[in-house]
Amino acid sequence: MTPTRTEPAISPLAAVSAAAMLIGLWAIFFWVPTEAFQGQVQRLFYIHVPSAWIAYLAYAVVLVASIAFLARGGERWDQLAHSSAEVGVFFTGAALVTGMLWAKPVWGTFWRWDPRLTLTFVLFLIYVAYLVFRALAEPGEESRSGRIAAVIGIVGFVAVPLIHFSVDWWVGQHPGRTVINPQDNPQLPGEMLITLLWMVFVFTLLYTVMMGMRMRLARAQAALIRSEAGV
Amino acid sequence: MEPGFIFLAIGYALLFLAFLGYLASISARQRRLEDRLEQLQGRADSK
Repeated sequence: MTPTRTEPAISPLAAVSAAAMLIGLWAIFFWVPTEAFQGQVQRLFYIHVPSAWIAYLAYAVVLVASIAFLARGGERWDQLAHSSAEVGVFFTGAALVTGMLWAKPVWGTFWRWDPRLTLTFVLFLIYVAYLVFRALAEPGEESRSGRIAAVIGIVGFVAVPLIHFSVDWWVGQHPGRTVINPQDNPQLPGEMLITLLWMVFVFTLLYTVMMGMRMRLARAQAALIRSEAGV
Repeated sequence: MEPGFIFLAIGYALLFLAFLGYLASISARQRRLEDRLEQLQGRADSK
């Protein structure tokens, strides 16, 4: 399907996301109590954790779409994987930067080569490499480069469970699992848990909005390639 | 002012700027592609 300028934008969902974000910001700054030991900077937690979780979601979509593309073919699966990888890199970058800003006042340094931080950085680099590979693909080689990218997208996902369980498997400085924790579930006080879950919902909406826009762009790119090839 | 507050403010400001910048970049890329598509369609129609 060739997108046109008259194709409706996803503005109603964007408006809902913006309203949900405002409610979330109100909760973060005016409703949730200040954490006793870390102080104000702990409020970064409400964007840091959802960013990381939505990055996991984005890479899970890359995984599923890449498997479907390799198994069935179909431009739409490839476009979905490519779009989700780009949005996933955005959210991984957000998780890394907010984590570093939290670490400076709490740990006294922006970065430590802790297992979870290091693996998250590796995950970020894997999908940046995925995007660079796709950007360097020769015109006319989209199908072949899509298949190679699909393999990178599938293999790269291995880092996600490693990151999630790294705080249990290895000794590091990153705080342990405080939300999904089998030993004491949940550890967070009520207001903090509600606000965090609300922000996960908001970030899921944002992911949907970004994916809608990015998929529309991918369809336009495919239409342009077909037009230039005279198909 | 608590020192952590500066990092908190930088974190939120950076996230929102990055988010708006990313959406603006998608929109700009979309406009460029649509312009190019229209040019190609115009050329094809004029032949």
